[in-house]
Amino acid sequence: MNAPESRVSADVAGLAAAVERVAADLAIAEEPAGFVLALEGESPTETA
Amino acid sequence: MTGWTIQTLARAIAARKISPVEATQACLDRIARLDGRVHAFITVDADGALAAARALEAELAAGRSRGSLHGVPLAYKDLCHVPGLPTSCGTKTREYFTSPVECTAVARLREAGAVTLGKLNMTELAMGPFGDNAHHGDVHNPWKTGHCAGGSSSGSAAAVAAGFAFATLGSDTGGSIRLPAACCGVAGLKPTYGRVSRAGAMPLSWSMDHLGPLTRTVADAALILEIVAGHDPRDATSSRRGVPYYLRMLESPIAGLRVGVPENHYFDGIDTEMAAAVRAAAEILAGLGALVAPVRVPDPRTLTDVGNVISRSEAAALHARLARERPHELQPAVRARLEIGFHISAHDYLQALRLRSRLAREFITEVFADVDALVAPVIPEPAPALEAVKSGSVDEFVARMGRFSRLTRPFNTLGLPALTVPCGFSSDGRPLALQIVGRAFDEATTLRLGHAYQQATAWHLEGPRL
Repeated sequence: MNAPESRVSADVAGLAAAVERVAADLAIAEEPAGFVLALEGESPTETA
Repeated sequence: MTGWTIQTLARAIAARKISPVEATQACLDRIARLDGRVHAFITVDADGALAAARALEAELAAGRSRGSLHGVPLAYKDLCHVPGLPTSCGTKTREYFTSPVECTAVARLREAGAVTLGKLNMTELAMGPFGDNAHHGDVHNPWKTGHCAGGSSSGSAAAVAAGFAFATLGSDTGGSIRLPAACCGVAGLKPTYGRVSRAGAMPLSWSMDHLGPLTRTVADAALILEIVAGHDPRDATSSRRGVPYYLRMLESPIAGLRVGVPENHYFDGIDTEMAAAVRAAAEILAGLGALVAPVRVPDPRTLTDVGNVISRSEAAALHARLARERPHELQPAVRARLEIGFHISAHDYLQALRLRSRLAREFITEVFADVDALVAPVIPEPAPALEAVKSGSVDEFVARMGRFSRLTRPFNTLGLPALTVPCGFSSDGRPLALQIVGRAFDEATTLRLGHAYQQATAWHLEGPRL
């Protein structure tokens, strides 16, 4: 494996490990669309 | 005139003291005289701008006004599709991005009377926080040439600081509006995810991209946001929420607003002058009646890692053809960052998207239960020297990129509005800045706080000597 391939592998492994660490207890019901719902659930101060 | 705010110029045009042609010509003259030192523009459309200005002048003479930007010269990051002008996205290819529709945000500004001066320089593919570009020239900081303008909306920030345009549009996937605004001493707003349509703008990451204004003052940012915000059927992610009257809300007192200053993570390893300026800005807000208090926030590294999995995956999917067929055209650091996305598994990408939902909910619930806004540094140090950030190996360069954008990336993952406001200068004259982060769709509060700060200080009235 050359240096750039090694670097990419290390970066990808690092990101995968970071996701794995915090994803262990994700609820089954958690889905990507929950992000927009989280934002839209907030109330602005005043709208016109 | 080129140092005026939009509102000052618009009033002068409406009163027929200055014509749209005079305003446009003044910008074009300044660009011609000084942009050789800054490299803010990739395309200057002098003929098109003057033709538009003449048409707007004729409308005024006939008693018609298009609105609050009638005759005001603006410019756009070179990832916004403007019919008749090429869109390189900072790549070597003059027409890298094409779109069947005009960028919605640009169209709304044009309909409000804006004159298009041209297209602005940017980091290649919007991937990088320093504003270096081997194809179109590195953008130089107008306050200190030889230093970074920040990126990736480098030309957008430098053009406003240099007095080339009265406002610009930029895009922000990991800090690309706020970082250059901070480096160049101008205001820059990343709105809430979904607040401003991205239709007609080249994507880098569908889940993380935001379009927003860079302006001389926070009040001008409010004015531009009011025009470009709102649902657009051409962008499925744009929100159907009503658009507040941001300008009218600016003058509401900030007394009683709860402002949190992170006591963990966001001041770690920050340049001492930068940290002191941000804390001093928080004290000014306290002096205006805001309830300023320390607050603990979740670890931003988790937010950054999750955001990186999403943005790298999506960027690789978007630019797969360029990366596979013409990789030699890409700058080495851009190619290296793009490459990572080809190796992230579908499993990790989807887990990251699911995690983002939970992290956003947790942050909103935990942090914004106690505060109305956060105040934190934007960049860890004032704009560094271009040669210093580009030196060394590709790995070192890429690592510097991550460190420089570590304070902005979490808020792309969270999708929350964040506003850069200049708050002083380092001892050698480089701008210092804070970011004000608000609740989702509560740009109004971040703008109110930023405007109140600018009414109490004079940093935004300073201009670079080019």
